[in-house]
Amino acid sequence: MRLPQFDYHSPDTLEGVLALLDEHRDNAGVLAGGTDLLVRMKHRLAAPKVLVSLKHLDSLSYIKETSGMLYIGAKTPIIDVIRSDRVQQQAPALVQACERIGAVSIQHYRGTIGGNILQDNRCIHYNQSQFHRSGRQPCHKDGGKICYARDEADRCNSTCQSDGVTALMALDGHLILNSTRGERRVALDAFYTTDGIHPFDMQPDELLIKIDIPVVPGAVSAYQRLSYRSAIDYPIVCAGVRLVPDPDDAGCIGSARIVVGAMGRSPLFLAKVSQSLAGMRFDDNTAFEQAGKDAMNAAATFAAHNAGADLAYRQAMVEKMVGRALAHAAGQVSTRKVR
Amino acid sequence: MQTIDMTVTVNGQKQTLAVKPNDTLLEVVRDYLDLTGSKEGCGEGVCGSCTVLLDGHPVRACLTLALEADGSAVTTVEGLADGDTLSRLQQSFIDHGAVQCGFCTPGMLMSARALLDDKPSPDRETVRRALSGNICRCTGYAKIVDAVEHAARPEAGCPDCRSKDTGGDHD
Repeated sequence: MRLPQFDYHSPDTLEGVLALLDEHRDNAGVLAGGTDLLVRMKHRLAAPKVLVSLKHLDSLSYIKETSGMLYIGAKTPIIDVIRSDRVQQQAPALVQACERIGAVSIQHYRGTIGGNILQDNRCIHYNQSQFHRSGRQPCHKDGGKICYARDEADRCNSTCQSDGVTALMALDGHLILNSTRGERRVALDAFYTTDGIHPFDMQPDELLIKIDIPVVPGAVSAYQRLSYRSAIDYPIVCAGVRLVPDPDDAGCIGSARIVVGAMGRSPLFLAKVSQSLAGMRFDDNTAFEQAGKDAMNAAATFAAHNAGADLAYRQAMVEKMVGRALAHAAGQVSTRKVR
Repeated sequence: MQTIDMTVTVNGQKQTLAVKPNDTLLEVVRDYLDLTGSKEGCGEGVCGSCTVLLDGHPVRACLTLALEADGSAVTTVEGLADGDTLSRLQQSFIDHGAVQCGFCTPGMLMSARALLDDKPSPDRETVRRALSGNICRCTGYAKIVDAVEHAARPEAGCPDCRSKDTGGDHD
């Protein structure tokens, strides 16, 4: 499968990259690992006239911790996140999510954490070859007026199937975006547009340069996902959770963040279900099971039939993924006690 | 369309090439350098038959732009043997009947090579995980996993492991 034609640039500096993005805007594509972009280009779902490679920007590849924040450069390869003791210690959910991204030989060395966060929304009806799509009317995301995932839908119902971002949202991650106009920091909660065609609240001249995650003392986190195959596949439902102990009673949950992924146009932060766990004990499995049920009820309506498994099954599994993630996270607290 | 000069060391040989921006690394090794061992299966990063080593790490050659490999060292399946002498890993694939139609084999060998470079004596689960990005539609994987596991560590009870050293061990 041939790639379409484009001009290639690989600036030596961040300023050089930002200047090119400013100049070419919608015509530009950012190439980091390429494992999402190049596939879409081969399918003619994306056709940037200019590719701006981050090849020489090694300064965007790092993991460091300063003043209560964990910083990960956007170009950090997935393998570095997986192998980082610091991330494993402060944000285990992110390691668990990264371990499940793609296939070993894609995720390890080419795929980047920034690319995983910004991977385009997917739909089994849209992410197909040009030949496949030529046999039917174009869908909303393809420039048409039809949705094959949900009958009579007046807009695109593509799904955010990123593993990493589900974990990062649970960890209260923020993104730092840079452009020639300056830098801005945005919470992942506020980064999504609910438009399946353009899922991110991001301008074409902006570049994701780093992610920050607050280091919360005593916090535990976990990620669970279900996919059709165990490797080289996207999640059909996933969940990331973070539990922070009550400062006055370490056996009690002070606050929780429950995020369900692969069910809607963005990962779904379930504020109400999360709040319901405050004050519960870390060994209260009944509360976790109830939270799983509540999460299923809250998240189920967002899903469309577009991820390769029966919709009712995916909806039912939200309960299991959330329940298991909570149990795994809480388990880290009991392990600590034993030590 | 513009061409851009690039330099890449393929299987130890330095190559200077003028490539198009939209050439993939797979197209360069197959079409420019006639190294047709690496296969294009799906062309979209799902099957693993195009796997090559880029600076020692396994990558999908079909999803790597040739220009991204500028200045790097690439090893393809042709780089595993020493002349006509197969590497121990390749011989193990033959001995264990790990090759049927052969289309996935170059990718399997490269993923396995990268694993053995990193962990010389992996357990079975590690082998299975390392090969999880490569799809085989013939053998059912058991023989392939045997071949990789026993390449580094011949097993006494395995009827397919050669009792004597096969030579050609330049791993």
